[in-house]
Amino acid sequence: MLTLENMPDHLCQWLACNGPRHDVVVSSRVRLARNLMAFPFMTKASDVQRDQIQSTLRRQLLGIPAANGQLYVEMAATSDIDRQMLMERHLISRQLASADGSKGVFISDDETLSVMVNEEDHLRIQSIQPGLQIQSCWLHADKIDDQLEANLDFAFSDKLGYLTACPTNIGTGLRVSVMMHLPALQLTGKIDQIKQAAKDMRLAIRGLYGEGTEAFGDFYQISNQTTLGRSEQEILEEFSEQVIPRILEAEENARAILVAETPMVLDDRIGRALGVLRNARLLTAEEALFHLSFLRLGVALKRVSGIDLAHVNKLFLLSQTAHLQRTLSKPMDEITRKAARADFLREKLTGGTF
Amino acid sequence: MGVKNHAVATRRLLGQAPGCYDLRPISMADFTGDDMSCDRCKKPATVHIKEISGGSVRELHLCEQCAASQGMVAQKHATFFESVNALIVGPHAEELQNLRCPDCGMTWREFKDLGLLGCVRDYEIFAVQLGPWIQTAQAGGTHHSGKTPNARQRNGPDYGRQKADIARMKVELARAVSDEDYRQAAELRDKIKAIEEKIS
Ligand SMILES: [Zn+2]
Ligand SMILES: [Zn+2]
Repeated sequence: MLTLENMPDHLCQWLACNGPRHDVVVSSRVRLARNLMAFPFMTKASDVQRDQIQSTLRRQLLGIPAANGQLYVEMAATSDIDRQMLMERHLISRQLASADGSKGVFISDDETLSVMVNEEDHLRIQSIQPGLQIQSCWLHADKIDDQLEANLDFAFSDKLGYLTACPTNIGTGLRVSVMMHLPALQLTGKIDQIKQAAKDMRLAIRGLYGEGTEAFGDFYQISNQTTLGRSEQEILEEFSEQVIPRILEAEENARAILVAETPMVLDDRIGRALGVLRNARLLTAEEALFHLSFLRLGVALKRVSGIDLAHVNKLFLLSQTAHLQRTLSKPMDEITRKAARADFLREKLTGGTF
Repeated sequence: MGVKNHAVATRRLLGQAPGCYDLRPISMADFTGDDMSCDRCKKPATVHIKEISGGSVRELHLCEQCAASQGMVAQKHATFFESVNALIVGPHAEELQNLRCPDCGMTWREFKDLGLLGCVRDYEIFAVQLGPWIQTAQAGGTHHSGKTPNARQRNGPDYGRQKADIARMKVELARAVSDEDYRQAAELRDKIKAIEEKIS
């Protein structure tokens, strides 16, 4: 059974490299925002009401069959390092990790489902899968929504759909979010074109950890910004049939151009990345991400052998601050953390030929 | 003062996309509640007006002809900023800023700072101001299309409103009991019972 204690040893399902197009698409995510009709939104909910919301939803979440899990984490009883670990695993948002008060998250045994309670809305149902699997995420989230709704009254209006604290989420309450690794678009200078095109299509492009974060390691989260006026299926189909295939194709083309026209530049980047990861004695999280990104590209293009993508994905997660700290189970200051990160990566990257 | 604040808050709602100010014409009918008929002649109402004076709000719903005969012009093709500025700098600017939800206490001014609403009812209370915001933030989307909760499908479109009414009346009932206003309490109890019987 999944617990906070054994979580660092547990490989997130969404990092497993068995999803379609995992060479470029790291993960797909679908989120549904819901609120209980009988309570005010979070901005106006009293402490007592927040407790009531949490205990009601906790009981429901632990009782529905499709959720398939028994782990509910109350934020108030959770250390800073564990909150950060949950965030690094994309199970909670920065907002839930940093705020005080009556808040929590339900996590399924395979970590493909997490439901945040009392974040911006009373409920944020999130389904995450490896690779390009938008429909399968939707089916899971939709089923959880149905089973919860059998016992709960969600705020809904015929005209505006599901009512949310922020008017940008009303209607379907659906946010589709696909995390893509786009190093070749970055290297060939085409990433700005993609960003502009995404803006024109009213999509948001964010970094690894959502709103306001930078695209470290060339990882980008692409998500819809509008939720009202189009059905769930229309939003999902636009993503799985238009938006993502186009970006995917652009990245593939850019990778092909790198291989065909500037193989030396490409190999130089990959070689430098391996050189740093195998020899550095002090590494920040950003540096590690930066070099692991080129290593991932080298592995995906088969220019590095003896290392597989699943291994690289695992290194991405385990070299992040909270995971490092939990794995080594000791508190660390900045220098010892940098040293521990470099030691960890050096040890894990002895194999592989380039 | 209001104009500047509004621009800041609008940007927060819309994210950073610069293109989001290209607006389609707004029809006021697009963002006020359910479809209504004219208060005077019962044709479909396309002009919706909130009159605010001394803290009380009076709503008028008129068809185009009746509105014209009353000397009011439908804001059919106003751009986003024109209509927003009309709302902000109009004669009732101050009252609109201070419009307050009786259920949760949220004011329009507070919403603009937070970017978040206080309760479900705010969508009705601030319908006039929120309408253009929603339409812009949602790329012209004005009506929900998609999933509907199963309970609502089983129990009809009034289901949600009735459940909300019950929740609200239960709070009032508790207040009436603690104020020892037993006549009021009995009245509320009967109303709650009647609705509960209807939807069960
Ligand atoms: Zn009329
Ligand atoms: Zn309210």
